[in-house]
Amino acid sequence: MNGMTTYFLRRLLLIPVTFIAITFLVYAILRVVPGGPIEQAQLQIKMAMMGEGGGGGMASAQAELQIPASAMEELKKYYHLDKSIPEGYARWLWGIVRLDFGRSYVYSEPVLDVIVSKFPISIYFGLIGYFASWLICVPLGVSKALRHKTGYDTATSVLVFVGYAIPGFVACLILMVLLGGGSYLDVLPLGGFRSENWAELGFFARISDQLQHTAIPVIGYVMGGFATMTILMKNSLLDNLGADYVRTAFAKGLSERRVVFVHAMRNSLIPLTVGIGHALGLLFAGSFLIEKTCNIPGMGLLSFNSVIQRDYPVILGTLVFLVLIRLTGNIFSDMIWAMIDPRIRFGK
Amino acid sequence: MTAMIKLIEAALLFAAGYLFTHRALPWLYVKAGERLGFDMKLAPHWEKRIARFKTIKRGYYSFLIVTTLFVMSLFLEFMVNNKPLFIRYNSTVAFPAAAEWLDGLLFFKAPRPMDRKADYGQIGDDQVDYRLFAAARRDPAVFDEQLKTLAGELDAIRAQLVKKPGPKATAEERQDYQDLQDIVPAIEADMKTLSDAKAVFAAGKASVLMPVYPYSPREHLLDMPGRPPHRPGASHLLGTDDSGADVFAQLVYGFRISMSFALIVSFTGYVIGIIVGGVMGYFGGWTDILIQRFIEIWSSIPFLFMMIIIAAIIQPTFLLLVSLIVLLQGWVGISYYIRGEFYREKSRDYVHAAVAMGASEWSVMMKHILPNSLVPLVTFAPFNVVGTIGSLVSLDYLGFGMPVGTPSWGALLDQGMKYLKYYPHLILTPSIAMAVTLFMVVMIGEAVREAFDPKVFSRLR
Repeated sequence: MNGMTTYFLRRLLLIPVTFIAITFLVYAILRVVPGGPIEQAQLQIKMAMMGEGGGGGMASAQAELQIPASAMEELKKYYHLDKSIPEGYARWLWGIVRLDFGRSYVYSEPVLDVIVSKFPISIYFGLIGYFASWLICVPLGVSKALRHKTGYDTATSVLVFVGYAIPGFVACLILMVLLGGGSYLDVLPLGGFRSENWAELGFFARISDQLQHTAIPVIGYVMGGFATMTILMKNSLLDNLGADYVRTAFAKGLSERRVVFVHAMRNSLIPLTVGIGHALGLLFAGSFLIEKTCNIPGMGLLSFNSVIQRDYPVILGTLVFLVLIRLTGNIFSDMIWAMIDPRIRFGK
Repeated sequence: MTAMIKLIEAALLFAAGYLFTHRALPWLYVKAGERLGFDMKLAPHWEKRIARFKTIKRGYYSFLIVTTLFVMSLFLEFMVNNKPLFIRYNSTVAFPAAAEWLDGLLFFKAPRPMDRKADYGQIGDDQVDYRLFAAARRDPAVFDEQLKTLAGELDAIRAQLVKKPGPKATAEERQDYQDLQDIVPAIEADMKTLSDAKAVFAAGKASVLMPVYPYSPREHLLDMPGRPPHRPGASHLLGTDDSGADVFAQLVYGFRISMSFALIVSFTGYVIGIIVGGVMGYFGGWTDILIQRFIEIWSSIPFLFMMIIIAAIIQPTFLLLVSLIVLLQGWVGISYYIRGEFYREKSRDYVHAAVAMGASEWSVMMKHILPNSLVPLVTFAPFNVVGTIGSLVSLDYLGFGMPVGTPSWGALLDQGMKYLKYYPHLILTPSIAMAVTLFMVVMIGEAVREAFDPKVFSRLR
């Protein structure tokens, strides 16, 4: 076995350890803190009983409102909270292994079904955003590198820095105000995945509706990596243009176009692929902030809402996906990196 | 006209802030250092780097502006506040703005009791309305107007009192009549207060100096015409939010909170990162491997997700938020940089020399290696600040950041979402404030990077 295989094997073996460490941490936090499903249920029962009592003295009503111990036990059993934290965690983990994520408290559906139904939406926006950022950043970076230290370079640098200074979700908000709010223009819808009357629309109306709903979130996704990607592209191309092999190519008498776009470009694109792992995470898990801002019912919004509603099985379920995608994504992108760039040798 | 005066005042304040930040403070720093016996001369290579930084105009000017604004923002209570710098009424003299500033500074001390209206010739028992006081100081007609309304009320009540309840009146009607009768002396007392105050003002025994922008970010202006939020206007530069708090005041206080938050987080993150990374790089071997594995696990915790879970459970305070962000995110990136630097530096001759002279491990790390590994830290700092402010704004936007009521950009954005169609200023103003601030910080970062770590690209064509 060569060094690289052992290196990646070792990293793969580290995944379960990391996975268990993180999920256990979150599980324990969720179990220890107040405000869990039991408290929520208690609150609901209390409210209901108070309503029935109607008009009775508040103080005496509160004193009487102790939920019977047997009912508490039942509640705890229902939510699997009657076990100690390690035992409960072990049961939960065993469930995950068998792909049984439990039932959502809010949706009263199996968690896996909820997550699977949200996945395609996040992937849709994530994929388009990812490709759009390549389509924008690579040409921009290349043209900046070719015109290094010119007026064009400075002007686009300002654009890039502004992009770096504005987070993606803020860009979405600004665009929504300017293009969809009605105060200035009213051409794009204010968030959502599709219009409500989607089912009644014709084929072309559906396409245009979908595109309209896609525009703003995708710009938000692109903004996220815009500055880093463009500057990375520019710097790596500049690095390569100063390298000896480019000098040789020029000496052979090749045209500048050929040297830049065939010889230097191929090597300059390598650093950009390093981000694939991170992009994968974004692709599948969506971005909390953009999905909340644009009201896209994807994974990000699901996990956000589950935290707010204390829907523990869904919180843990989305966490499982998030962590697994991230861990495998990192390794995956390193593998790709090692594959396209033979100079990279992991694990010495 | 008043707008011109305000503008000139603001410009003068900025000039004073600049002189204080970039002339007085450095001078004081050097003098104090010399007095304490330190050599305050910079090492020549640092002098060269700073000179190079100064030649990059966009970055240098951004640096001057941002630092000046930040230092000024530490004294915001004197510039943007609903409390006056100085107030005198009869023999009472007070400095409410300074008191508030001190209360913020000495947060462990019980705050000063508020100034009551009764002590300043105003009707009521709550906090003095300093703006009304200032208005009366400018134009005593304010009193006449108030007196006129009160007199009108009194007349109306007297007119009602003429009709006494007959013998057949119910108990309720008698009670109403009694109540009306009781109001009369109260109104008369108010009128006496007002006319007394008018006399004091006329005798020139009252004076007040309001801040340039006389509104506070935590003050709910509910007596304005219409219902909040208000659009930007003459008295409120950028309008108000839906609780009637002035947006401009919130933005500038939000600037102070965001910047100090980011600076504190970056600094603490640096300290932890330097120690952890230094230990990893300097000792190497198993220590390095173990800590690396730990960091690998730690950094795979989804940051925002974790923050939200924790913040949903415990309402965070400023300090808790700082420690959470530092612990979860702030130190990891830096520790990798430092690890690499220490790894490289520890085999240099000067380190061997220090070890041979019997320097302790700690002093080798902190006194000898660290000063030689500072460049990546310094160049990284502005981008660190940008990232931290971004995190804070996101958390505030999601509602899991600073306690409710703290002036913040993120909370304003969240409100703006609700009123997106009708009050676009609630989104646009904080976005622009944030974009301009962060843009300038990025410019500083770019310039620092170029000055400290210059890279010359050569290319053939």
